[in-house]
Amino acid sequence: MVSLWRKIWKTPVVTEPFINSDAAAAIEALTRQVEAAAFARLGRSLHIRQVDAGSCNGCELEIGALNSPYYDLEQFGLHFVASPRHADCLLVTGPVTRNMADALRRTYEATPSPKIVVAVGDCAQNCGIFAGGYGVVGPVSAVIPVDIVVSGCPPAPRAILAGILAAMEKPR
Amino acid sequence: MMINETLVLKLLNLTLFCFGLGALASLALARRAPAARWTGHMLALLGAGSVGTLAVAGLAGGTAHWTLSGLLPFGGVVLGIDRLSAFFLLIIAVGGFPASLYALGYTRAYESRHSLGAMACTWNLFLATMTLVVLARNVLTFLVLWEAMSLVSYFLVLTESDHAETQHAGLVYLVMTHAGFACLLMGFLLLAHATGTMDFAHWRAATASLGASTRHAIFILLALGFGAKAGVIPLHIWLPQAHPAAPSHVSAVMSGVMIKLGIYGLIRLGFDWLGIGPAVWGGAILAVAAVSAVLGVLYALMEQDLKRLLAYSSVENVGIILLGIGAGLLFQAYHLPGLAALALLAGLYHTLNHAAFKSLLFMTAGAVVQATHTRHMEAMGGLIKRMPQTALFFLVGSVAIAALPPFNGFFSEWLTFQSLLLSWQIPARDVNLIFALAIAALALTSGLAAACFVKAFGITFLALPRSDQAGQACEVSWVMRAGMALLALACLALGIWPVGVLYALQATIFEMNGAYANLYFDWKTVVANPPFATVAPLLMACALAALLAAIPLALRLRRGRTVRRYYETWGCGRALQTARFEYTSTAFANPFKRVFAFLYRPIKELDIEFHPESRFFVRTIAYRNEVRSVFEEALYQPLIRSTQWIAEQARRLQSGNVQSYLLYILIALVILILLAR
Repeated sequence: MVSLWRKIWKTPVVTEPFINSDAAAAIEALTRQVEAAAFARLGRSLHIRQVDAGSCNGCELEIGALNSPYYDLEQFGLHFVASPRHADCLLVTGPVTRNMADALRRTYEATPSPKIVVAVGDCAQNCGIFAGGYGVVGPVSAVIPVDIVVSGCPPAPRAILAGILAAMEKPR
Repeated sequence: MMINETLVLKLLNLTLFCFGLGALASLALARRAPAARWTGHMLALLGAGSVGTLAVAGLAGGTAHWTLSGLLPFGGVVLGIDRLSAFFLLIIAVGGFPASLYALGYTRAYESRHSLGAMACTWNLFLATMTLVVLARNVLTFLVLWEAMSLVSYFLVLTESDHAETQHAGLVYLVMTHAGFACLLMGFLLLAHATGTMDFAHWRAATASLGASTRHAIFILLALGFGAKAGVIPLHIWLPQAHPAAPSHVSAVMSGVMIKLGIYGLIRLGFDWLGIGPAVWGGAILAVAAVSAVLGVLYALMEQDLKRLLAYSSVENVGIILLGIGAGLLFQAYHLPGLAALALLAGLYHTLNHAAFKSLLFMTAGAVVQATHTRHMEAMGGLIKRMPQTALFFLVGSVAIAALPPFNGFFSEWLTFQSLLLSWQIPARDVNLIFALAIAALALTSGLAAACFVKAFGITFLALPRSDQAGQACEVSWVMRAGMALLALACLALGIWPVGVLYALQATIFEMNGAYANLYFDWKTVVANPPFATVAPLLMACALAALLAAIPLALRLRRGRTVRRYYETWGCGRALQTARFEYTSTAFANPFKRVFAFLYRPIKELDIEFHPESRFFVRTIAYRNEVRSVFEEALYQPLIRSTQWIAEQARRLQSGNVQSYLLYILIALVILILLAR
């Protein structure tokens, strides 16, 4: 108990003050755009299901950052959901491995229409450094239809947001 | 309306004629199994229908008295009918009629293996003895018929006597029912000795002047005897063994009807024969009832065997019935006749309801067992697709037993709750406390019963088949489905339109106690102890139906253009979806097993055999996590051991030596001479 109090007393403030920079304002504007596009297209907020088809988890860290207090997607009504049944958008990372190809196909089929697919990262685009590996089937587009590809290794959270926006604004 | 006495007698004669002819004809036709099956069960069906008519005549006020003096000593065979007997005849008809119809189809599977003649004969005798037990009007008639009923049901339990399990179940049933019979015999003889008459009709007037200790002794002995038949905890151990072992139409009637005759005896004892008793009796019944209800459902929740689950649930429901009856006894002891009548009415209504839904559930369980050849729920699953109608009937029974509107269980449990809640009118703190605990017990029981039947229905009927046999199951024959459909309709009718039964029960209780229940009812509303609580079963059913209809309607109006796409159940992208991924019955019950571990005292064993080369490879895993029965270990095992010990000691006297026997005779003679001096 005493050690806990001592720890609380000794530990400095670990958060940083929020700097209202241009970058932050741009991100907020971008996120609001995504929200507006989702409402225009779906009539409600956007629900995203992330599928790791064989990634090194670099892209996952960036996607995870979208949920951090800095980007804070949830406040704009953009939710990461636990089942493709609830999702409007699939965010696929990594080269598609043999073990995940069928699961990815099933996930795509289980997602209700209208659905958008965003392939995130260089590996999702063209298998990146894993190209030609014995366990790799191919890029995401070889398995399911892809709307937008976000390149980068890994792409910045902002780029991922821009990709989602582009996919939603893409005419069908 | 006056019912002619000769009409009642004719109906009784018709009933006995049908059952008697059914028993004889099925024996005569025993060589030709299909003929025996049809004749025996058709006559049983007619007999049960005739019992129903007799019940209606009795409830409408018909009385009759029938004496056959030569047949038995001490007053001969005396039969009579009053409204309480008629109400229990109604219960016999509600259980017996659909069960006979069901048996027409169900016993077909026994044709090649067992004697259909004997089965149909004992079935007729079983229904006949139950009918006569509630009509018996003196001690010897009652005891002889009671014993006949127990023996006939014992033979029915032993139908599949080639299984060791069935033999054991039969033995336990035989011992328990005779222990109960011994208590009844002592109690009845004590009562007859104290009052000086063997005739039930004179007991009420005669017992009022008896001493308190005699009355206590009579009450305890008879309550034990009837309680053993009703299956209250801790006298319940025969029930979860005998009911699953019997063929399903027999388990339906044993569980739905026969154990109710224990309730019948308790009502006769507490309200009729002994008059108004002390509050201790009601308190004891209430406490036993609360324990039976909660423990019954807790044990039911742990069961993997579908029919054992239903048997434990019968223990629970007998507890709920006795909550009403115990409350009635307490109200009566505190001179609140209106409330006593209300509580008794609640108990009697639940008795009728339980006869309907438990018979239904046992019949559906029998259909499932016949289709899958197993009673183990973990080997079922997916049956809603293979047997949709049976699944619907099981669902109706489950909803009714879980006390959800609009089915009948809701209504009687509502009445029981109201009568318990009205206990504040008793001006005694300790009694109020017992009532408060009983209310809590009933609330807990209702919740656990719902969980139990979610498990029973979900594991048995939903998801993918867990075994090949479940995957190949087929819907059962139309006669069986007709029997189940009748009971499902009865469950609905008793739930949404209770007025008819309420009229009959008011008259019944008035005839016995001289007071009407504090209950107002018309075609749509029922008010307990006006204006304490109101319920409108019919309107509630309409509202529920409207609500159910509103969902698809609203969806249709809101999204007229939605595209529907059929696709397999989402299984997290797994390529292979087999029954091994499914939620099991054990897993469903495990949270309860942990919470109530002090009661279940589960055994936990995990044996892992590793590969000799490396501990990272496992050869076999054996896992056991079983529930122990506290009652068998703490009560019955010591009892059996001490009985055995006494028998061992007594055996020393039986040396087999003629000289020592002559010595015993000499000693006995000397003692007798000394005594007679």
